[in-house]
Order: sequence, then C-alpha cells, then structure tokens
Amino acid sequence: MAATEASPPQPLLRIDNLRTHLFLKRGVVHAVDGVNLHVDAGETLGLVGESGSGKSMTSLSILRLLPKHSGRIVEGQVWLDGTDLTTLSEEEMARDWRGRRVSMVSQDPMTSLNPVFSVGDQVGAPFRYHRLARGARAVREAAVKVLRRVRIPSPETRLDDYPHQFSGGMRQRVVAAMAIACAPKLLIADEPTSNLDVTIQVQMIELFRELQRDSNLGMILITHDLGVAASICRRVAVMYAGRIVEVGDVRTIYRAPAHPYTQALLASIPHLGQKRRRLQAIAGQPPSLIDPPVGCRFAARCPRRSARCATEYPPEIELASGHKVACWHPGPAS
Amino acid sequence: MFEIRDLTKHFRIGGTPLGGGHIVRAVDGVSFCVAEGETFALVGESGCGKTTIAKMVLMLERPTGGSILFEGQDLATMSGAQRKQYRRQVQTVFQDPYASLNPRLRVRTIIAEPIRAHSRPGAAALRRRVEQVLDVVGLPASAADLFPHEFSGGQRQRIAIARALALEPRCIVLDEPISALDVSIRAQILNLLADIQERFRLTYLIIAHDLALVEHFSTRVGVMYLGNMAETGPTEQVFSQPQHPYTQALLASVPRPDPDHKAPLDAIRGEIGSAVAPPPGCKFHPRCPRAFARCSAEVPAWRTLAADRAAACHLLETAA
Amino acid sequence: MTAEAVGAPLPPRGWLGRLAAHLRGGNLPLLSLVILAVVIVAAVGGEAIAPHDPNGLDLAASFKPPFWEAKGALEYPLGTDNLGRDILSRIIAGARISLVVALYAIVFAGGIGGLVGMISGYFGGVVDAVIMRLVDIQMSIPALALALVMAAVLGADVDTVIVVIVVTYWTWYARIVRSEILSLRQRDYVALARVAGCSTAVIFFRHLLPNIMNTLLVLATLQVGQVIIFEASLSFLGLGVQSPDVSWGVMLADARQYITNAWWAITMPGIAIMLTCLASNMVGDWLRDTFDPRRRQV
Repeated sequence: MAATEASPPQPLLRIDNLRTHLFLKRGVVHAVDGVNLHVDAGETLGLVGESGSGKSMTSLSILRLLPKHSGRIVEGQVWLDGTDLTTLSEEEMARDWRGRRVSMVSQDPMTSLNPVFSVGDQVGAPFRYHRLARGARAVREAAVKVLRRVRIPSPETRLDDYPHQFSGGMRQRVVAAMAIACAPKLLIADEPTSNLDVTIQVQMIELFRELQRDSNLGMILITHDLGVAASICRRVAVMYAGRIVEVGDVRTIYRAPAHPYTQALLASIPHLGQKRRRLQAIAGQPPSLIDPPVGCRFAARCPRRSARCATEYPPEIELASGHKVACWHPGPAS
Repeated sequence: MFEIRDLTKHFRIGGTPLGGGHIVRAVDGVSFCVAEGETFALVGESGCGKTTIAKMVLMLERPTGGSILFEGQDLATMSGAQRKQYRRQVQTVFQDPYASLNPRLRVRTIIAEPIRAHSRPGAAALRRRVEQVLDVVGLPASAADLFPHEFSGGQRQRIAIARALALEPRCIVLDEPISALDVSIRAQILNLLADIQERFRLTYLIIAHDLALVEHFSTRVGVMYLGNMAETGPTEQVFSQPQHPYTQALLASVPRPDPDHKAPLDAIRGEIGSAVAPPPGCKFHPRCPRAFARCSAEVPAWRTLAADRAAACHLLETAA
Repeated sequence: MTAEAVGAPLPPRGWLGRLAAHLRGGNLPLLSLVILAVVIVAAVGGEAIAPHDPNGLDLAASFKPPFWEAKGALEYPLGTDNLGRDILSRIIAGARISLVVALYAIVFAGGIGGLVGMISGYFGGVVDAVIMRLVDIQMSIPALALALVMAAVLGADVDTVIVVIVVTYWTWYARIVRSEILSLRQRDYVALARVAGCSTAVIFFRHLLPNIMNTLLVLATLQVGQVIIFEASLSFLGLGVQSPDVSWGVMLADARQYITNAWWAITMPGIAIMLTCLASNMVGDWLRDTFDPRRRQV
C-alpha cells in the first residue's frame, strides 16, 4: 500500500534462462536446460539434486569453467554484480572475476590442493595473481591472515607445510581460505562436506556460516545431502534433469514441498529420530539428457502423472512469495 | 553366530620387511557379538577400524590378536576345508559398484564365479541359478550377457548383491552398500536388501557412517572410535539414550533435513586423533567435552551396563 | 521389485565376432596394417622375391644411387652399397632376420618377464624383495658387456643375439607387469574373488592375466623398434648376425662408413626400421582398444 514502491535491492547473482550443453561424441547433453535463479548478498542458496541433475554444471557455467572442447553456454545470462559473465572474454574472467569476485570450494580437498606446493604458496597464489599483495612478505602476511580466519591453529608455522601434512578437515579449510582470499562476493561450494567425517562436517558448516556473516558473502551450496542443505541454506532450489523443479525458502521446501520429486526425495532418505518401516523408493532412473523427454522430465517416475505431464512441460508457477514450482499437479503429498 | 573377542589388528607402515616404521593400531581390542538373523551395524568415522574388522571377518586380513568365532569356531584355527565351507556361508557387498565388477567379464561370469569356486555344476544348472538370482535382485535374465559398463551404479550394485546371494549364504557383510549411489536410488537398494533379508533369513553385518541409515536399517549397533569400541547395544536404545560421550556427539552432529535443528557446537572439538600415535588413556579424551583427569591417564575398561548394553567410559563407572 | 529395462542389443559373441564387427566398423589403422603386411611378405618371401641376390657382389655396380636420382636406374631401385649389392634385395632379405629376432626376443622376454613380474607383484613380501633385487642387478649390467661375454661363450650369430636381447629386456616387462599387478591386486573385484573362495590360480587367470595382456601387448609393440636397433648395435660390433646373413642392423652398420658417398645405403634400411616400428605401434594401440570391452560402442 505504499505510495511509491521502492524497487527491491538487486540480487547479487541472477541467472536468466541458462542453457549449457555438452557436445560429446555420443550426442549433445543438455546438462543445464533453462535455469533461472538468484542469490542475494548474505544468503545461502542450496542447489539440491542427484548426480546428473545439472547442479555442478550450473556452477561451472557461472565460473566459465566448462570443459574446454565440449562445454558451451548456448543461451542465457549470468548477472553478477551488474555484469553478464557470459559476455566476458576468458582473460577478463580470469583476471577480474574468477577467484576475485566469485570463487569456488569443491568436494575433494586433496585434488583441489597441489601436493607438491606448500600451503603458504597456494594460499598466497590468489593474492599474487590478483595483485592484492605485493612482495613476498606482504603475500605471506595476507596468507597468514586468511588462514587465521578459517581457524587453522598457528598459521604462521603451518605456511610451509604441505597438504598431506594436514588432516581432511584442515585441508578443506585451506581450500576455503584460498577461496575467500580476495574477499569474493559470491562463493560457490560444491559438495564441500561430502568427503568429511560427520564431526568435522559440523565444524565446516559453522565455518561457512561465520564467513558468510562476517563479510555478507552470498553463497551457493551444491549438495545431494538434504541434511547439510537444511543446516545452512536460507533458500533451496531443487534440480532435476537439468531444470529447477522447485525453489523456495528452506522451511517451505522441507516442511511443505509442493513438487512430487522433492517429496519423493525427502521420503526416500532415512531421518534420524523418525524410524519408518520402509523407505519410499523412487522407481526408475533419471532420464538421459542427450534426448530429454518432451514434457515434464520427472513424469516417468511420478506417482501423480497425468496425460498432460508427458506431453507438455509445466510452467513455473508461484505458489506463495518466493515459492515456485514447475508441476501440473503441485501440492502436498497424498 | 559371530563372537568377536578382543580383536586386534596392527599394521606396520614404512620400514622394510625386516623391521622399522610405525605401527598403526587399526583395531585395538574390540569385542561384540552378532546373533543370527539380526542386522548389526558398525558405525564410526574414518580411521575407526570398522572396515578393517569387516576384512578380518571376511578373512581378507588376519588378526594380530584376539579371535573371531563363527558358530563357536575360531577362524584362525580353521582347516582349508572348513575355510571353504565358511566362505560359502559368509559373503559380502562392497561400497563401490564401479570397482566391484571386473569390467572385462560378462555379468554371467561374475555371478557364477562364487558358485564355480565351490562346485562344478553343469552349464544349464549354472545358467538357471544365475537367472534366478538376477530375478531376485530385480534384473532381467538378459542382463547376464552384458558387461558391467552397460549398467548404472544402482544396477551394478544389484549385480554385486546377486553375486553375494549366489551361494545361498547365511550372512552378508555390507560395507557401505549405498553410500556411492545416487540419493534417489539408495532407497531402492535398501528396500531390496531388507526384502532379501526377510526372504532368505539372512544375517547382516553392515558397516556404515550414516547414522540415519543405521537407525533405519539395523537392530543392534556398535559405535567405534580410533580402533576401540565406544558403545554397543540395540540400535533404538543406543540412539535414544547414548551413554558414551562420543555417541552423543555423533548423534548431535548429524545434519538433519530439518531447518530448525541446530547442531550444538560444543558437542565435540578438534580433529580425529592419529591412529599411529593415539592419545594416551581414553583415545577420545582430547575431544570429549566431559573429560576429566583420569581420562588421559587410564584406558577405560569395557563394561556391561545392562543386558546387551556395554560401553567403555570412565564417566559411567562413577555413575554405577 | 521392478525389473529394470536394460535395453541394449547383445554384442557379438566371442573375439572373432568382435573382430569381424570392427572390420565392418571401419576403425582400422589401414596404412599400418598394409606396412606390416608388406614386411611380413618380405620376411616370408625372402630371397625368392628379391630382384637380385642380396649377397651378389658386383663391384662394377657399387654406389649406384636410387632410381630417381641422376645416375640411378630401375635395375637397382634403391641403389647399391659399396660392394654392389642391391639395397632393395638386402632389405627384403633382412626383413626376415629382423622380424624373427624381434619376435622371438619379445615373446621370450615378455613371457619370462611377465611371469616373473606377476609372481613378484602378487605374492609380495620376501619373494617380491628378492626378485626385485635380481632385477636391479640385472639392469645394472651393461647390455653390451653382456653381449660380448655371450658372444665369446656361445659364438656370434643370430641365436646369441636373441639370448642377449631376452636377458636384457625381460627386466622391463617384469617391472611394468609387477606394478600393474600391484595396483590390480587392490581392486575390489580381486578381493571379492577371494571372498568367494576362488583359488589363486583362478584369480590369476580370470582377473589378472587378461588385464595384463593389454599392457604386455602395448609394451611388446613398442619394443619392436628398440629390439631391431639393439640387434643393429650388436651386429655392428660383430657380435650378432654374420655374413652371409643379412639384417637391417647389419646394413646400418656396414653403411655407416659411406654416409657421405652413399646416403641411401644407410637411409633406406633406416626408413624400413622406422616404418616397421611406427606400424607396429599403431597396430598395438588399435589392438589394445579393440579388446577393451569398455570402448565398445554398443
């Protein structure tokens, strides 16, 4: 009822109709097929889905790190801080954006870290490359500072250690340090805790929360683990077969999901403290993305499918503020 | 069915066949029992020794100390024939469906392998049996002529299960059977395993790190930390009233698909200890929020707390 | 329980069927196969198909260049050497010895080395340590010194060359096979075979050997060139093939002195060696790809 409507603050990241295809010998894989999403500064968006759903490809598309000869963004825009990343040259991307304004933490710290370089070397690299610190001493100091931020004990002495001298959880912290070194605005975390033990995972999740609070960092958390997503995300987007099928705030998604896939996913995992006799398995398999089915891609496995589902792809409808679903029969599980 | 007494396994890393190097105490005096028909879960984080115990039960490794008794007989004292008989009765399914199947062999050969290791059935009988187990795991008979790379991860795991069933075993050791599978496929395989257990009256020894899975799937559980058993008992009891601080911390740290659940941060601190140079006394004490003086000096004894509940913690002794 | 549709058509049965499918598939390294075929024909035909007697001396015709040069003639298509012997005929005749030596040497070295490597890798422990020390000792003995001793003891001829090559090269196979076995041994499906109750022999033949064959095959084809050149060195030193036998190595050795006068005398056999090596490498790669079930397009 306001007289003048203040325009809502622009989201930090906005992806419009992103389509990324992989051109392989056996065919063209429609890995990401029309994805729209946005992330605000200071919030974490969870991107949830199984392998092959396109979530990693989406993050690689943002960072423009697609496989060189086969991956290509064929359509869509990725707006970060007012700039469309898809229009930048590789040089601009590497110099000003990757590692500087948007960076990534991925699943396996042992392959993210080069075993033959010291940790100090690798944590210092972003500073050197993006020229945020000049001279060996300044780089070292900056590295110590950022290692301290990720709570690595006695960072000054550990600068010269090698990755194998760190435990798994510590290594992941080092990777996080490298990612936040240049104070990015957006951090993409691709399964950052999947390889960690549970008791270390909880510390890692808390670290991410802290980092986000301290610098108003926007985060995309990609995971297949619904528990991890619930503990840190403010909003969650569920992906299936290259498209987003449902998106909303975390409570809605977990308490009152509207898309049958989200419901099936939640019903198929064991919940600690709620023992059930039998898990609801989802029959069948995800469809091939080389020749994606016409119509809703979950139709073949959906308990609510109707004739329309197989022939027409459902449009995205907004059920409530911020809660969108792409389904012909959305609603609570029967 | 199984009685494990004070089982120990030390590995030597580094050094030569003549000596030197460090000793890794992978399993350091573990005792528990598995009754026939039940599902016993060994749970713990990396380095706790659960996979090593599984290997010893499968006779892929030999214990350095202690014993494993199968129906009263010590595995170490079994003759060749007895060992073969043992292998007929105890089979396994491993974690990685992509590594469990030899990519050069057809599914038929893979499933028939255990059968042919023990007897010489005719080609027709073999074919029938292969098709039989494929049917049990929900794959068509035509799958037998294909190669592993033509199947998805979930299907490969089914093939691995079929192979485990080929000999009509009495017990199957499941080492993280679903953790390498896609989330939407896991339930299928779990349900399959549950059905098979009921149908063939199998005993399961399952190694897992996913506590929610363990709660759903097992009847009794053993929680391990750095080579020692922290606590054992019926799953329901252990999870609702954990006695050992490590079990409590583990349960508290598991992320739940519930946005309002906040894992308490003070449940546990620090990193998992080293298996080469474990902390003195109770191995968990550096991370335990309730450790006191005695914990760093003395290893807690394994005590029976109630019928079928046991744990090793100094805190429990003072309460008794 | 829903039976899942596994809808691919059945692949052709047996390796013969697969070979036929590939021939139809058109993935062949045609040129390499043709080259190898030519070499084999030369080796089999030998003097029978050579235009001249490989050992026919005709000093009047010495140092004739190949036919495309000014002073050359089609009578001696690739020229003649210092003794007037036709280079082309000598190449044809030499193919036999070069190939035979390479074949015997690789088969025996590969067989012995492969077996030793398998034993060493699979059993590990003391057996492995002892065998590897033997390999180290063997590798530290210079091949040519060994050749000298062997020639003195056994006399210098083709058989000696084969023995020396086998004794020198088996260590390569042993080491490489051993490291393959070490990694294969850790594979889940090997452990599962043990749990199933399979005997060591069965595990060897069903799981380890087929996966080793690949490596052995590729290594063998890569060795063809090395072996031929090694044979050339031995022949050059007078420790190997003796006249009137001809081998490409002998040709290289003989022509060394006349490079400036008659470049063709050394270049032609050199090209023959190079083409044979290249062809065998390509065919080796193709064979490896053909027999890897994973690469099959079903």
